[in-house]
Amino acid sequence: MHRVQARINGKDYEHEVEARLLLVHYIREKARLTGTHVGCDTGNCGACTILYNGKPVKSCMLLAVQANRAEITTVEGLAGNGLHPVQEAFLNRFAVQCGYCTPGMLLSASSLLESNAAPSEAEIREALEGNMCMCTGYQQIVDAIKYAAETMRASTGKSL
Amino acid sequence: MMNLDEIFVTRNWVGKSVRRDEDIRLIKGEAAYVDDLDMDCAHVAFLRSVYAHARITKIDTSKAEALPGVIAVVTGPEVAKQTKPIVARAITQPAIQYVMADKKVRYVGEPLVAVAAVDRYIAEDALELIDVEYEPLPVVVEIADALKKDSPLIFEEAGSNVLLHDTLEHGNMDAAYQEADLVVKEHFRVHRYSSTPLETWAMIAKHEKGNDSFVVWANDQQPGRSTANVCNTLGIPNNRFRLIVPDSGGGFGIKLAIWPHIVILCLLAKKVDKPVKWVQTRREHLLGGSHAPDCDVEIELPMKKDGKILGLFIKDIENDGSFVHTAGIYGLIKFATMVGCYDIRATRAELLSVVTQKGPTVQNRGVGKPTMIFVLERMMDIAAKKLGLDPVEIRFRNFIQPKQMPYTTPSGEIYESGNYPECLQKALSLSGYDELKKRQIEMRKNGKYIGLGISAGIEPGTSNLGYYYTSRGVPEYMGNAEGAIVSIDYDGNVNVVMGSVDQGQGHATTISQVIADMLDIHPERVSVDSHLDSLVSPFLGHSGAYSNKFNDVDLGAVIMATKKVRDKMVRIASHVLGVETGGLQVKNGAVCSRKDEQKSVSFQEIASLAYKKILLLPEGVEPGLKEIAYYKNPMAKLPSRDDFNVQITHSNSVHVVAVEVDVETGEITFLKYVIVHDCGKQLNPGIVEGMTIGSTVHGIGAALLEEFVYDENGQPLSASFMDYMKPLAGGLPRIELAHMESPCPYTLLGTKAVGEGGAIGSVAAVANAVEDALSPFQVKVVSLPITPQKVVKAVKETKEI
Repeated sequence: MHRVQARINGKDYEHEVEARLLLVHYIREKARLTGTHVGCDTGNCGACTILYNGKPVKSCMLLAVQANRAEITTVEGLAGNGLHPVQEAFLNRFAVQCGYCTPGMLLSASSLLESNAAPSEAEIREALEGNMCMCTGYQQIVDAIKYAAETMRASTGKSL
Repeated sequence: MMNLDEIFVTRNWVGKSVRRDEDIRLIKGEAAYVDDLDMDCAHVAFLRSVYAHARITKIDTSKAEALPGVIAVVTGPEVAKQTKPIVARAITQPAIQYVMADKKVRYVGEPLVAVAAVDRYIAEDALELIDVEYEPLPVVVEIADALKKDSPLIFEEAGSNVLLHDTLEHGNMDAAYQEADLVVKEHFRVHRYSSTPLETWAMIAKHEKGNDSFVVWANDQQPGRSTANVCNTLGIPNNRFRLIVPDSGGGFGIKLAIWPHIVILCLLAKKVDKPVKWVQTRREHLLGGSHAPDCDVEIELPMKKDGKILGLFIKDIENDGSFVHTAGIYGLIKFATMVGCYDIRATRAELLSVVTQKGPTVQNRGVGKPTMIFVLERMMDIAAKKLGLDPVEIRFRNFIQPKQMPYTTPSGEIYESGNYPECLQKALSLSGYDELKKRQIEMRKNGKYIGLGISAGIEPGTSNLGYYYTSRGVPEYMGNAEGAIVSIDYDGNVNVVMGSVDQGQGHATTISQVIADMLDIHPERVSVDSHLDSLVSPFLGHSGAYSNKFNDVDLGAVIMATKKVRDKMVRIASHVLGVETGGLQVKNGAVCSRKDEQKSVSFQEIASLAYKKILLLPEGVEPGLKEIAYYKNPMAKLPSRDDFNVQITHSNSVHVVAVEVDVETGEITFLKYVIVHDCGKQLNPGIVEGMTIGSTVHGIGAALLEEFVYDENGQPLSASFMDYMKPLAGGLPRIELAHMESPCPYTLLGTKAVGEGGAIGSVAAVANAVEDALSPFQVKVVSLPITPQKVVKAVKETKEI
């Protein structure tokens, strides 16, 4: 057994875990944050995407022990009390159907907008290559991210 | 269609893109899918067959049972002793299969042993300690193998690998052949694919020792039927089984037959002192979590030289794999709308369902209609080419005309409304079809190959479940209906409980819009529980989310239950206000006098009488404000081979696609994608748009990327998303969507099917576009998917995809 300390959404967690425990299972079962989902076994679908020390990663591709002392953000920690502009945009642009891919999509999208305040449609689509959605055909997700970028720029007063 | 003034008191919400507030939980990560439920469970893993066909000579689980952390084990032979075989719906030959493999295995991935342990890791460890001895048997993988005279039998008791063979003829096909100037024939092969919901199957079963009953939480898509199937298979009374369906991460039909696994979990739960949980891995899902069957379709069109089609023959052979429950249904559904949008007066359908060693099949989005429209719309292009006609023109010459509506097809399907020629016209102009044609010619001169594809498809909705008549004579289910409970609470707000479930279709929002306009309140005052609990939900055998039935019978039940509640409130208000009910109106969350709106009593005040001050209620009025209603579509016919409607509403659409094909690499790039869609009245265009585009992308995936591949030993080669390719955000076209509105006269709100149509029309449109692009190379598209390898090979050598 190994001791893992991780800061998830600003809160400290500490557990004894088996070396083989996947990070996604740590997050879901030990930290009981079930917004992070599992949709495949092979790192393809992106439903388990989290921010790991600020970068989007697939938490099924890491072991919990690798996350010792890591700073993690899951969908539950994306916004404070209200909604992150990307969440607001997903709601307003019908970017959610079953909602299973949504947490991973939101983290990939928010990460994209951190580094690129005005992504083109092609850039948005490229940034979502690691996230599968089986319901929407992606179009309303892409539109929502565009819309989120606009509202974020408007609120920070940045123009192109 | 009902007089809308009898239903609605306002028109503030229906027809608008009202935001889906049920999504707030989902975007905050607060959903409650089965795997999220906070219960102390044992965790289940399945040992699955590694052979496609083998006799089981030994299963030794002793080492697994001795592993610390393992709680219980059940094996296939044990399960078979305690259960009835899986009920078959459509096949005519006897075929006995249990929910787990018993004496032999019939496909790779068939469950053999289930292990419950303290966690999933240990349960998986235990699987490695199970000793199974197999005696391999010869395998049958492809349709042609299954049909050979000396083919090994998968179900010996059936005496054949063909479990259903039927011919349905309507109209005079012989006359059609005699009058024809020519008969256009083709043979198509359509592959296996699946819409693969992102959440796999998941379930928790708990055994209540006290009264020997079960509670199950599962993401079941058709809970009404599953409840019956589980109880029958376990041989327990209905009142010993309670099914709860929490949030569900997509369905697309693939969660319609998860009930055999529920049976296994129940048996395991009996051995364990706490609930047992199983969440399917993606590998399990792709191996044996159900596919759309692959099929062989021979098709013939007896035609006149002017392009008029006189008759339509198909011989459809479905490779239904090894799952007797749903085998045979694809052909029966396909046959029902085989004429598509065309006025064809004679049809003959020879339908075969064969079993092989491929995985189980289930109703995947569109159920056979994507294939039927694919072969029919391919044939329209092939026939046009043969006759020197434009593909647009041949469609115009055969369309059912608006003045023929309602139109009854030879077999009895009733197309209630629609304007197919205008739909095509609109799609052509929106896509700039003529301009694209010119561009095609220009680009070809530069060695670039673009192609245009059209498809006109029917999108039926609301299955009339009597369609399993082939085998059953009198089928267990007929017609279609749904139930709803609508109540007004102490605060005068509305609460709704449905017999159906939601996998992401936005049912809660749509229902709240309808009720808001029936009671003149804000939709926020309507709470819809999208979950199902068989103990309290008003479910029927038909209940569930399938065949686009929501817009028809589900909303019908909501409207009828809301009307009952409204009528009761008006009656109470009449008593309170001393005004005849005819002089009252529902306005702004209250009932008031039409003459003097000051004379008013709010829903909250009415509720206070109904629930608390019950002695003030008028004579003969029961306390409470909760009403239940079941609504049945009135158009479903009784089962009959001569005159029957398999589906009861019919949306339609035209897809126009432009692609560029790189003949060196085989890469296919989208230049244009236009859909004109007619689903009658739209209640929430934002939701309709999302489902139409999402569904279309399922079809694009099926046409270009996805395929379950098996080797000659029946070993699946595409059991992960590394090998089973799904569409991703890049590489997809921006889909332009326009609408027409031909209200359905037979649904309460004039609505029709939404959800499957995109998947139906897109496969053919993409295939037609690719063939058109490759026409300088005389390449014909008769199979799917159209992969880059096949394109390159066809251009260079085979001339056929």
